[in-house]
Amino acid sequence: MIGPSRVAELEMPAAGIETAGSRPAQSYWNESWERLRANRIGMAAGTLILVMAVIAVMAPVFSLVLTHYQPQTINLLETFAKPGAGHLLGSDELGRDTLTRLIWGARVSLGVAFLTVAMSLTLGTTLGMVAGYYGGWIDDVLMRLVDTVLAIPAIFLFILMSILFRPNAFTLAAIIASVGWGTVARLVRGEVLSVKQRDFIVATRSIGARDSRLMVRHLLPNVLPVLIVAASLGVGQIILVEAALDFLGLGIQPPTPSWGNMLTNAQSYFFRSGWLVALPGITIFITVLASNLFGNAIRDAFDPRLKS
Amino acid sequence: MLAKYVARRILASIVVVLGVTLITLILMDRTRGAYVPGIDFNPSLRPEDVARLRADLGLDRPFYVWYLSWIWGVLHGDFGHSMIDGSTVTSHILDRLPNTLELTVTAILIGMVFAIPVGVIGALRRGSKTDHSLTVVSVAGFAVPQFWMGLMLILIFSVTLEQHGLPWLPSSGAFSPFNGGDILDRLQHLILPATVLSFFYVSTWSRFIRSSMLEVLSQDYIRTARAKGMSERRVVYLHGLRNALIPLITLVGLELPGLVSGGLVVEVVFGWPGIGKLAFERAIQYDYSTVMGVTFFAALLVIAGNLIADVLYGVLDPRIRFG
Amino acid sequence: MTQPLLQVQDLHTVFSTKEGQVKAVDGVSFELNVGETLGIVGESGCGKSVTALSIMRLQRPGRIVGGKVMFKGQDLTRISEYEMREIRGREIAMIFQDPMTSLNPVYRVGWQVGEPTRVHNGWDAKKAFSSAVSMLGRVGIPSAASRAKDYPHQFSGGMRQRAMIAMGLTTTPHVLIADEPTTALDVTIQAQILDLLRDVNREFGTATILITHNLGVVAGMCQRLIVMYAGKIVEAGPTADVFAHPKHPYTWSLLRSIPRLDAETHEPLKPIEGLPPNLVDLPGGCAFHPRCAFRVEKCSRDVPSLLRVGDTQQAACWVTQSGTELKGG
Repeated sequence: MIGPSRVAELEMPAAGIETAGSRPAQSYWNESWERLRANRIGMAAGTLILVMAVIAVMAPVFSLVLTHYQPQTINLLETFAKPGAGHLLGSDELGRDTLTRLIWGARVSLGVAFLTVAMSLTLGTTLGMVAGYYGGWIDDVLMRLVDTVLAIPAIFLFILMSILFRPNAFTLAAIIASVGWGTVARLVRGEVLSVKQRDFIVATRSIGARDSRLMVRHLLPNVLPVLIVAASLGVGQIILVEAALDFLGLGIQPPTPSWGNMLTNAQSYFFRSGWLVALPGITIFITVLASNLFGNAIRDAFDPRLKS
Repeated sequence: MLAKYVARRILASIVVVLGVTLITLILMDRTRGAYVPGIDFNPSLRPEDVARLRADLGLDRPFYVWYLSWIWGVLHGDFGHSMIDGSTVTSHILDRLPNTLELTVTAILIGMVFAIPVGVIGALRRGSKTDHSLTVVSVAGFAVPQFWMGLMLILIFSVTLEQHGLPWLPSSGAFSPFNGGDILDRLQHLILPATVLSFFYVSTWSRFIRSSMLEVLSQDYIRTARAKGMSERRVVYLHGLRNALIPLITLVGLELPGLVSGGLVVEVVFGWPGIGKLAFERAIQYDYSTVMGVTFFAALLVIAGNLIADVLYGVLDPRIRFG
Repeated sequence: MTQPLLQVQDLHTVFSTKEGQVKAVDGVSFELNVGETLGIVGESGCGKSVTALSIMRLQRPGRIVGGKVMFKGQDLTRISEYEMREIRGREIAMIFQDPMTSLNPVYRVGWQVGEPTRVHNGWDAKKAFSSAVSMLGRVGIPSAASRAKDYPHQFSGGMRQRAMIAMGLTTTPHVLIADEPTTALDVTIQAQILDLLRDVNREFGTATILITHNLGVVAGMCQRLIVMYAGKIVEAGPTADVFAHPKHPYTWSLLRSIPRLDAETHEPLKPIEGLPPNLVDLPGGCAFHPRCAFRVEKCSRDVPSLLRVGDTQQAACWVTQSGTELKGG
């Protein structure tokens, strides 16, 4: 009887450097969470975003308790005040308190961003999965559609749509999402294409599972990591785009305060108060920075493609 | 083969163009019955004139007729007429396009000039303080709102400098209306907006180059070059950078399509007379047809830009050229 | 007695890793004579590649922490980087395992093959290119003149390896180090490349160090051979002698694990027991003893040195050094 077969070559498992002690295998999610927690900068950034979100939600409370101003209260006697006792961060051209407006502005920026992400992810994932799963002409049509949407420069499309449709928070989110879904769809489609080949999908199919069940219960969880990564990296961009639209006057309209529209008339503030120009921008910067850092941390922790 | 590759890309592009026309016109359709400033309620026009003008603008024809005549127009270089003063969109585009290109091309050049050394230094001095600082700057640059950066630069370099009696940079327009127009004057006007626009490029590209370099430098052929006794300089620049830059061409190529639209916000902040500012000016006046025409034109450029970028990539990568 | 061309004396190269320090090369000494072909054999991770890289001073991120590499009167471990660069590619050339990734994809093959002569000999582009073309022809690439203008991805695996060999020879170096030159190639091409290396050795008189894990490759090519295990040399000697009567249990086991044409049918193959060693956590005494069929008590305590065993061979084994013959069923 031929025993265990040996090839002429000494092709043994690489001696290499074996880990001194092996750790118990963990589930993907646990392992990813741990990696995330270990990333101090990322966690700090994430906490900051969380804090901002809380502040945004509790804006009315803050108005009442902290600053004692409403965002739209006009006081023509205290215009362009420098940061100080009366107005912690100064006031604007109509005497409205800047800090209060920044706090209320967070509602807009974070709120619209959240809505936009929700919409693009929903639409993009659905269409991406359908395209990837069914393939064939459905895939071709959907992908051409994505190509087409992405061919129109986003900012032009946004401008066009905001003059065609009255922009409130929802429509604004929808407008921005109308381009965003495309990238998501492509990403999801790509993941589905690679996951589709794996054995467990074939196995599940062979026991007669319905397509929708397959997509939701089996494909989706595998696509989720890539989605999470894409979403967290994209939030910063969305906030910037939304602020730019507000600044141009094509987004959230005054008197509702948003960080972007607080800068719409900035050119006229130059000689009166530099603070008024600097503060909303700094706020946007910090928020986007935190969001990007957190997004990077999430990507480092969750991206399956970075796993060795 | 290169020819087949190019042919395939062109075909795909045409399909997308058709798709864009469809989307464009579906959106436009919403406006066809709408109030048209400059025509409706214009006291100097008689009702018959209003009806005639509206008919001229094609507002009352069935969709498919309108669609086809629009396509026909585009093929002849007619991108529509303004709803406000009837001027042709094409004339506006021709007027403004060079300015936009001046701005965006300069920004891309500045971007490359700064991003490459920053990226290479970061890769070569990986892990050092220099590398960390550069990374921080890049990450920060990615988070700064363009319009705000523009405002702040104006505040610092135009307003504040002027207030203190120091030489200051102009804050709007592409050249001074009075005794300007020469190279130096144009450059002065160009600096601030181009810097703002290039900031994003420098941030993203430098990080990209850094990681591309690191990857390239860990490749086997770099080891071969060292084993051949090549100097470190030669290994890094001739063998390494040459490979690391290839993906950058793709990245830069990705910006080509956005060449016309990317500067919109900057143009508005700096009053730069480009296509973006045109779209914005017209948008706030509800001149739908001009905005549509400009948008469509920009989309065409995007598609063309994508095509060119794909072809360029094919030319540069010998694996595609001779594959 | 002529001086050996290359003398490696008690070389030590270490790598610092998260798990600890790895002694990739742990006191290796050998000589290479002019025109000779030496084989270095061992399994993955035994240190054979790192030894070669250390000779070339390309061992980063590892560090050479001891020993000498004497070449033409100089200690290669001590000379400046600038001086070392003069030697690399010009006096000592090295070719690697995977020709696909070892050639730069964006430059033409002829340009790459001609690069050493441009840089080291100062030849102009034309001269270097035509010399490259002739060298490509000599290593067996048909239509060398036009193929030289091609890019690496247009070459087949075997041709790429031939090109690599040509690249190593353009400056007529004294030593050619070939690190697993055939591992990434098809079996039929392997034979061709080995023939080429043999011809090159004969024709140019280039001393060759052939690194491989394949005993079959060594058998046909090398006059002498060294067997490495866990960073140390465990056996050395003329190839024929080592194959006929191995003096180290590791070599002995290796030779027994190869299927042989003259074996009895139905004879089971005999793999080596146990697992390859963990280089961060080596066993005490002789690194091979946990897997050794001949071990005695001393083997787990004391590390054996490489000493003469028999007329022409050396082995690092307490058992054979004390005279015991390796036999077994």
